[in-house]
Amino acid sequence: MNLRPIPPRVLKIAIVLALVFDVLALLVMFDTTPIMFTLFMFIGQPLFAVALVLLLAAQLIDLRTKDLL
Amino acid sequence: MRSSALARLAGLLLVLLPGVAAAQGGVPLPRGWIGTTNEWLRGLGIAFALLNLVLLAFAWRNLRAGTITGTTRGWLFVSVGLVPVMVAFLSFAHGLETSATVTACGSCHTMTPFVRDLRDVKSDTLAATHFKNRYIQTNQCYTCHSDYGLGGTIKAKFEGLGHVWRYTTGLYETPITLAQPFPNTRCLECHAQSQKFLNAAGHPKESMHDLMDGTAPCIACHGPAHPEQKKEARR
Repeated sequence: MNLRPIPPRVLKIAIVLALVFDVLALLVMFDTTPIMFTLFMFIGQPLFAVALVLLLAAQLIDLRTKDLL
Repeated sequence: MRSSALARLAGLLLVLLPGVAAAQGGVPLPRGWIGTTNEWLRGLGIAFALLNLVLLAFAWRNLRAGTITGTTRGWLFVSVGLVPVMVAFLSFAHGLETSATVTACGSCHTMTPFVRDLRDVKSDTLAATHFKNRYIQTNQCYTCHSDYGLGGTIKAKFEGLGHVWRYTTGLYETPITLAQPFPNTRCLECHAQSQKFLNAAGHPKESMHDLMDGTAPCIACHGPAHPEQKKEARR
């Protein structure tokens, strides 16, 4: 099976998502209001989860294209 | 140059060493005070989040070259996969802890009259009496308005989510009322085993069963818990 390597754009999206998560986490740490914490829980953490999935998928596909997996 | 670096280091230490900030509260601290767990969670969380911003910048710079090298993968692994896990844990723990404080409850303006009365040393409401005498040490709102145990915490957090939703969307009515009658178990968690409670003239043995099963609400005799609310405009 021929798999195309993941384009860098996908990894850039993962970085941006991780960045948004990071900023929300900083906001929670500096100004912990219930609204801010809710935003972090329901927007920040899912964004981080998506970033992690993108990174893992990219690594997995990379390993498979090199027949290492 | 050297002085600005020192100032930056001092600023970082102020964030990371919460004991320094806590000592300004006026309350004498025990010898060897190094801050509370929550203060450390916050300090470390900020440090890790700032570190991650730098790491993300490095990863982005490496990716801009177009080819994904081993170094790029390393930066990506650390900045997207590793350090954010620490940031997530620390900020979640800090947020969970801080959202139970009186300040957090008072951050919504609908709670202002309750928190103002709570902190009023001249008030004789049940909440103010508990607060000014420090019958409850910390998180006074949360302690009385959540059931104890893990189930109580989970239920309180879901209820809190509902409060945030209704506050943000304006879907609430004044005066604010409790969704369910205040259960005696929340009072009994602290009072049930105390001799003052067991031997009080108002708590004869024959009425104990009604107090324990909630048939006779504590608040009926010991209220009001909070001041009477005025009908006020929303937001």
